[in-house]
Amino acid sequence: MSAAAPALRELPARGLASTDHKRIAINLGAVAFVFFVAGGVLALIMRAQLAADGGVVSENVYNQLFTMHGSTMVYLVVVPMALAAGLYLVPLQVGAAAVAAPRLALAGLWLLVSGGVTMWCGFLTSGGAAQASWWGFDPLSDLPHSPGSGMDLWLYGVVLVTVAQMLWAGCILGTVVRRRAPGMTLLRMPVFTWTMVVTCLMVLFAFPALLVALCLLWAQRHGGGVLAGNQGAVAYQQLFWFYAHPVVYVMFFPFLGMAAEVVATFSRRRFFGYPAFVVALLAFSGMSMTVWGHHMFTFGQVTNKYFSLTSTALVVPAGIEYFDFLGTLWRGAVRFTTPLLFALAFLVQFLVGGLTGVILASPPLDYGLNMSYFVVAHFHYTIFAGSAFALFAGIYFWFPKVTGAMLREGLGRVHFVLMVIGTNLTFFPMFILGADGMTRRIAVYPPGRGWQPLNELETAGAGLIALATMVFLVNVGISLRRRRPAGDDPWEGQTLEWATSSPPPRLNFATLPPIRSFAPLLDLREAAPAPPGLADGS
Amino acid sequence: MRPNTQHAYDHVAGIYFPIAAAVFVAVVIALGALLVLGARRRTPGRRREANGLEAVYAVLLAATVGVLVWVTFTAESPIDRLVPRPAVRIRVIAAQWSWTFEYANGARVHAVSTWAPPVAVLPAREEIQFDATSRDVIHGFWVPGLHYLRQVFPGHTTTFDLLFARPGRYQGACAVYCGELHSQMLFAIRAVSPPAFRRWLARHRRSR
Repeated sequence: MSAAAPALRELPARGLASTDHKRIAINLGAVAFVFFVAGGVLALIMRAQLAADGGVVSENVYNQLFTMHGSTMVYLVVVPMALAAGLYLVPLQVGAAAVAAPRLALAGLWLLVSGGVTMWCGFLTSGGAAQASWWGFDPLSDLPHSPGSGMDLWLYGVVLVTVAQMLWAGCILGTVVRRRAPGMTLLRMPVFTWTMVVTCLMVLFAFPALLVALCLLWAQRHGGGVLAGNQGAVAYQQLFWFYAHPVVYVMFFPFLGMAAEVVATFSRRRFFGYPAFVVALLAFSGMSMTVWGHHMFTFGQVTNKYFSLTSTALVVPAGIEYFDFLGTLWRGAVRFTTPLLFALAFLVQFLVGGLTGVILASPPLDYGLNMSYFVVAHFHYTIFAGSAFALFAGIYFWFPKVTGAMLREGLGRVHFVLMVIGTNLTFFPMFILGADGMTRRIAVYPPGRGWQPLNELETAGAGLIALATMVFLVNVGISLRRRRPAGDDPWEGQTLEWATSSPPPRLNFATLPPIRSFAPLLDLREAAPAPPGLADGS
Repeated sequence: MRPNTQHAYDHVAGIYFPIAAAVFVAVVIALGALLVLGARRRTPGRRREANGLEAVYAVLLAATVGVLVWVTFTAESPIDRLVPRPAVRIRVIAAQWSWTFEYANGARVHAVSTWAPPVAVLPAREEIQFDATSRDVIHGFWVPGLHYLRQVFPGHTTTFDLLFARPGRYQGACAVYCGELHSQMLFAIRAVSPPAFRRWLARHRRSR
């Protein structure tokens, strides 16, 4: 396996060329976190501009900021983070020694770095970075309306990272299909692994549509006549949203899976309603490919009722998922650790995003709210107040496994409280502003509407989020420097990654416990409840 | 009252928003109760599934979807439909970054990226048909007071009806991001009584 040349092993940077799925995933997570901070800085500048109602940056610069903020967060942060978690955990959870096709996964890491840097290089060009929003939608993104190479660099960057994401999805899915340990049947795979399966299916089926859209856009910019007039504009968005609605669930399911593992572990119960949950996931991901038109209700050129029906029907699988979370807590013995706090906040806050999503799936309501700050509030509640919270739940939960050291609980709680207050201060007022008529993507809002106080409040909230992120980074720094050893299984975990050392060895497992359910370590504890701490060594 | 976008929005919102709020409160209460009970337990209860209950619940969810979709469809159909004989037809031309309203008699209101756009006058309580198009990129004709947005495309005329149930001033904005001065692509409509509208129209026969 490790056939690296001896000379390469001596290099301090050899981790960057490692084909160990754990090393790749850690590097990937670190790269995505750097982009998260960078995208967050852009958001802070935007918030400063909106608190002051203009004057901080020009309209031109503001348009670059929101384009690059959205593009960074979707293409470079949340989707890569989701797949990085899968690359790290799925081989461990299915009892595999390695990921399938590790060199492709490594290539993906470098494609992500190249793509991200390419996209951000737009800021160095004379015309500035791309300014056509993270949709890059035609005709605004074509040559006459977006001259300058910033738009081209954005296009090349998005293509590179999208290819990377498809490679990772292939590796993860390949691991599930080909590398499961003996006894690990499909219906014994942990909940997180199942969320990654449906995520990878969506990546592989939906992301090619984005590549097609971007190739057409490139041809339009450099030859023309491909995406002409109304039909070109509508065709681009059909392709784009066929990608961009499933991508919303790519930015949701893995984090739902993290929260599920955390809630199960800290209520000391196996996840409730497992078969129904798996069916709901599969149905949800299948239906995710049928709802894209709800982004185009206000076109007057789309079959609104069909897309309204399919979008509203998502209530059924989503409702089953919530039911299963509550069922897991039912009769559980709950331990309020930092990971659980983040997972619970995920459940409550994501619900706000989900319920407003049902509202936006109704065309008579969407006609009034689409393209307003109501929508901005809605998707930040799903992706930030939802997924990012579950991501932090996952980071606090698996950090001991990945590094061998515990994160500090006290700092974790400070991080949590600041995040909850900051997030809701930032995003809740956006619902009110949107319903009151504030348009999204505006650098300055009209005078005399009385929107400034709420915007100032949002900016204060954004400052708290930044502060919370710093507390988190301090926590990581302290925890790595003054290590509190985690041991193999600090939380009484239920899945196979807790049956190996922390961090796991190069080939993951010395021996595997018997696998008779989707919570094999819980089976062991339930079979021999007496001496705590002996369960891992068996 | 003839069906209009305001009425449709208020009707559907009056059903959707309370249901959403009730679901939120119910989930939070259930979660809170389970956490309080769970915090007291030292050892978890025995494994228990509730497949029958979950199936019943799934059926209830599907029924809820049915009700919501029915409310939506019955409210949407009348506002999507075009009336055969509108009282007024008006042409709207969007461009980077301006709005032009052209009346049948040649009157014209032209608003170019400004915080104080000139006012297009229209009759209240009458069906108005809009024929909207764009000169360059996609724009969004949004009147928040009517709860109505329609996106406007180049090389395509999109036609829709609106009814201003109450006289008064309505702010309008381009809702679809369209480039540098998108923020300032505003318009304004004043809905007046039909006779007042006809007088205004007669006074503004030529462009201004």
